[in-house]
Amino acid sequence: MSTFMQAFNIAIKEWRLLLRNPHGLTVLFLMPAAFILVMSFALKNTLVASIELPATGWVIEDTGRVAAQWTEDWIGRNGGVRLASRAQLQEALRARQVQAGVIVPSQWLDEQGKPRADHVELWFSNHVQPAAANRLRAELSYSMLQVQMKVAAAAAGPFASILLGSSSSTELLPASGTLKIRYLYEIESGRKMTAVQQSVPAWLIFGMFFVVIPIAGVLIQERGDGTLTRLATFGVSPAAVLGGKLLAFMALNWTQLFFMLLVGRWLVPWLGGDTLYLDLPVGWFLVMALATSAAAVGLALLIAAYTRNFDHAAALGGGANVVLGALAGIMVPRPLMPPGMQVISEWSPMGWALDGMQAVFLGAPDAAQIVPKASLLVAFALLCLLLSWRPIRYQGRAD
Amino acid sequence: MLSAENISYRYPKQSGFALEGVDLALSAGQTLGLLGPNGSGKSTLIKILIGLRSPQAGSVRLLGDKPPVIAWVPQDYAFYPQLTCRENLQFFASMLRVSAAERALRVRRVEQSCMLQEFADRLARRCSGGERRRVNMAIALLQQPDILLLDEPTAGVDPQARAFLLDQVRQLAQCGTAIVYATHYMEEVSALCHQILLLDHGKVLASGDLQALLRGSEATGAFENLEALFMHHTKRSLRDSTRT
Repeated sequence: MSTFMQAFNIAIKEWRLLLRNPHGLTVLFLMPAAFILVMSFALKNTLVASIELPATGWVIEDTGRVAAQWTEDWIGRNGGVRLASRAQLQEALRARQVQAGVIVPSQWLDEQGKPRADHVELWFSNHVQPAAANRLRAELSYSMLQVQMKVAAAAAGPFASILLGSSSSTELLPASGTLKIRYLYEIESGRKMTAVQQSVPAWLIFGMFFVVIPIAGVLIQERGDGTLTRLATFGVSPAAVLGGKLLAFMALNWTQLFFMLLVGRWLVPWLGGDTLYLDLPVGWFLVMALATSAAAVGLALLIAAYTRNFDHAAALGGGANVVLGALAGIMVPRPLMPPGMQVISEWSPMGWALDGMQAVFLGAPDAAQIVPKASLLVAFALLCLLLSWRPIRYQGRAD
Repeated sequence: MLSAENISYRYPKQSGFALEGVDLALSAGQTLGLLGPNGSGKSTLIKILIGLRSPQAGSVRLLGDKPPVIAWVPQDYAFYPQLTCRENLQFFASMLRVSAAERALRVRRVEQSCMLQEFADRLARRCSGGERRRVNMAIALLQQPDILLLDEPTAGVDPQARAFLLDQVRQLAQCGTAIVYATHYMEEVSALCHQILLLDHGKVLASGDLQALLRGSEATGAFENLEALFMHHTKRSLRDSTRT
């Protein structure tokens, strides 16, 4: 019986123990699946390049013809309602009849008849997305610029006025919403960036690192009741014990991975979300999955080897995973972090995994994107195994 | 079959010796009773004999044409409560460096000898204390040992299970297995062992033929029973062990 066969039989035993631990399986499978579902829907519109304008109510306090015309043009083009007063606008925002309000105050135009942009007030409901608010502001600024150009052209003389008068406002200056925006991912893959495409790799990594719970459970039990010591009397080396656990829990990680892909591909769209595209670069995907899994199991073994009891391991392992996840940009996407945090974020194991996995899921990666991240993960896994070796060897000899 | 000479052992970061100058000899078919209060060094000696710890002084020699197989029955239930009894046996058998057919044969044999068939498919955590003790013993017997080291194998079991385990130890000894039997139950040692080794604070207080020791010396006179001998040597003060 070779050490490899002993490790293989230990791996089979680990799987039997796992299958009889429904709580552990819930943490490993349902928790990341629930996160994928929730985050895919929660972030659904934040990654869409063309943000829709919020429904807008208009309060026109300026009695001039230009203000009335400008408002009618806007409502005709983008939709919206005219409201009689600020109080009515406030009520409409509260009742969620509109999401935004534009107040055009009296004396909106200056002495030359040009609009004063800083006089216009924008009100928003508490629920409007920042991106939608920004788009409304940009569109209004463009629109006022168009009014200003027409006024300037009229003042410049009959020739300019005739030229400009024959063109519509949108031909003069297209609104920002009509500009075509494309992410690099869309350019390279020809598909749209979606929340599910981002959420699946992120929460998959998070779930994979949660193997610390079952690993710690088994190892601490084995240490406590002397089973690890007994295995040593059967001629089982620490290499076989560590190898068996590595084999079992890496296989578990692959099962998680398969399950999460199914959730993203079928469950999320079935519930009305976006579909996960699965035509990934398979080779790079396998490299990243293997490296991530090795790092996750290595860290779990390290925590299990150095903790005294299961409560300690669960608290330390769970806490460490949440902190590492936050640091890596699993919970708060990295682009939303300040620059200093982004640098720190690039130096965490989950961060390396996320960078590599997102390169796979969100684009057409090459070796320069994947190999450094996968190498860091494998080096991290080896370091963890090296540090786990001594306590496991010692624990195998003394219960 | 096994001889230990002048064994001394000190745990890391501890000032005193856990064992000091211990000698022991064991031949085929012999049952040695290992006695001592908590913290006397019994478990440490067993771990040294099985090779889990290396003594700082002295040596353990295994005698014979080929090295004898040593198995250990630990004090705790050292197996997986979430597996069935049979799955536990199959798992530990799969750690042995023997063929698959031989493994299956050994599992069947120990199931029969320890009478596990009735509850072999029950999860170990659902078994009674006595059943678990038998599983604990059966796992060690998978190794087909020449030397069997038992560390309090009957702790917490009912009289029926105890009688069964003692019978099994007797049978093993009759078949030539050398046995070291560590326990706090004097009547078990009296029933099983011809030789004893009495330890306290890591030192040998008495060793040799049980009947000869019970006869005592001129100074002590004869001892009524093994418990009287034990109390004479170890005194009545309570022991609070931190490590054995």
